[in-house]
Amino acid sequence: MDQPQDTQPSPNGRKVLCIEDEFFIGELYARALNKAGYQIKVVVDGALGLKEAQTNQYDIILLDLMIPNMTGIEVLRNLRDPAQTPELKAKVIITTNLEQKEETRDAIEKQADGYVIKAEITPKQLVEILDSIR
Amino acid sequence: MDHFHKLKHQVRNYIFLLGGLTLIVMVGGSWLVRSMYPDHDTLISIILLIVGFPAVWGVALILSDYALKPLDTVWRAILHVTPGHTSTAPPDLDKSKIGQELVKTLALQIYQLASTSDSLKTQAAPIQAGATANELTDDLPLPVVAVSKDQIITFANDAALKYLGLPKESVVQKNLYSVFDLSFSDENTLDSWLADCRANKATDQRSWQHARLKLADQTTIKQFDLAAAYSKGNPNGVEVLLGIFDQTTRYQADDNSLDFLALAVHELRTPLTALRGYIEIFQDDLGPSFNAEQIEFMRRMQASAQQLTAFVGNILNVARIEEGQLSLQLHEENLVEIIKDAADALSLAGKLRGVTINYTVDSGLPTVGVDKISITEVLNNLIDNAIKYSGTAKVITVHASVNSEGLVETTVHDDGVGIPASVMPTLFEKFHRNHQNQAKIGGTGLGLYLCSALIKAHGGNIWLKSKEGQGTTVGFTVQPYSALAGKLKDSNNKDITRNAHGWIKNHSLYRR
Repeated sequence: MDQPQDTQPSPNGRKVLCIEDEFFIGELYARALNKAGYQIKVVVDGALGLKEAQTNQYDIILLDLMIPNMTGIEVLRNLRDPAQTPELKAKVIITTNLEQKEETRDAIEKQADGYVIKAEITPKQLVEILDSIR
Repeated sequence: MDHFHKLKHQVRNYIFLLGGLTLIVMVGGSWLVRSMYPDHDTLISIILLIVGFPAVWGVALILSDYALKPLDTVWRAILHVTPGHTSTAPPDLDKSKIGQELVKTLALQIYQLASTSDSLKTQAAPIQAGATANELTDDLPLPVVAVSKDQIITFANDAALKYLGLPKESVVQKNLYSVFDLSFSDENTLDSWLADCRANKATDQRSWQHARLKLADQTTIKQFDLAAAYSKGNPNGVEVLLGIFDQTTRYQADDNSLDFLALAVHELRTPLTALRGYIEIFQDDLGPSFNAEQIEFMRRMQASAQQLTAFVGNILNVARIEEGQLSLQLHEENLVEIIKDAADALSLAGKLRGVTINYTVDSGLPTVGVDKISITEVLNNLIDNAIKYSGTAKVITVHASVNSEGLVETTVHDDGVGIPASVMPTLFEKFHRNHQNQAKIGGTGLGLYLCSALIKAHGGNIWLKSKEGQGTTVGFTVQPYSALAGKLKDSNNKDITRNAHGWIKNHSLYRR
């Protein structure tokens, strides 16, 4: 069967950093967001993700919680610490399949801009959510 | 020798006497047997006697100890608070072998009595009742706190201060609820019991299993059983005496099993996320080239993956409910939107069975105070059931209105196979399923149990009306937001949009 050719979408100029170690999920999100005109970079490791977020400016950061080398919560804390990440413009959306304990949930509610259970949405629904964030 | 030990000896002797008599009867019996069967030797009787008596003595020892342990505990508590017995060690309340709950409550009562009774106070210069009780209970290993009718802590023993990790001045003369960040596993809280006592009782006792409190550091959570004794119009001003039986280690094990479950759910969800993603790609990219049958298969795959996702969420929630860890986030919500979202989400599953989901809402329906995620789950489960049991009927109707009590009532109605009267009483129990239909219809028996628990946690009511062959109506009530508005501390979260999948902040970036 011939692979249907995607028409190259017109970029919407928004940059997304996806910190996600599940290859399949990273790929799915990259594909859906690219199609919708987002520029997306997938990083599979917490420490590398933090470094990337500190080096380059993004509009949205999708942050998984269970990632190697540095947990999502630690990345989030570092992103919100002005001494560590002085100029963060990105909105941080937690994308996870892990249910939170009360303590962690409080931290997330204070520090993140959004929280999404990955299994509950499809990649297209993620695009809709990101489209709604301005 | 004190009274208790005398009693213990008497009981032991009686048991020994009884056992000895039994033994003699047995020996007599064996003589008779011997005369009937001459092959048997007199040795048997002698051995019986030699082995028998020490054995009976041993049994008497163990039995008397076992049976009298609760009495011993209570006795020790009495001695412990009696002047002149200051050296008596306090009882270990966890060591009672039988009737532990009762013994704990009794012992606690003794300490309460000691704090109020004049004859038990020291005869020295008048000392505040609180102070006396404090002296009496300070070396008790059990954390004990007394509270006045204004909810002020009038004293806390050393064990209680140690338990809370706070100095005396941060506990005594402070408001109970500012010191104890208490939570209970259901709506029968200390507060509701107190309100009941004040209205209807002069004295009362109660205990709760699995209460928790957050310590001042805001991270450590202690888990315990709580016993309370209430006494109206107590002259020393103590209205309630609280005893804490720490069970952190035991309940922590439950938490760990919940941790395991959260991890298992994570592991289940990860491949599900990928599965749903790839199905979507197939549908979008290849869908146009599919024939009708292939499109139908695709839909079935999609609906199945969605169903599994919902089920995985249910498992975790049931576990949370059972561990008393379900925390609702009540906010002002528009019920119509929740119903619409649930109906939309299940429309695909409905389509596969040729079922249409209709919803109607009375005009002027007020906003409701609910946890959106939980109510979405309730509706998902109810609509899903209606689809499964709709039989040949092809329409499901969801309706919301205000009932005669001013509560917002939502009903899910189908004209399907209905439910036999024999199983109606157990429908909201866990793992209950309509077994007649088991072969035909999939399900786990968690759905209605979960719905009932979630609605009750909202302070609402859930009911079911059905007749075999004549369809089913399930209804539940929740409070209008106006009834809760005063109680909800909504201000921090006003800018959050909650959905079934999570939440997104509406405005602005995170503010440093």
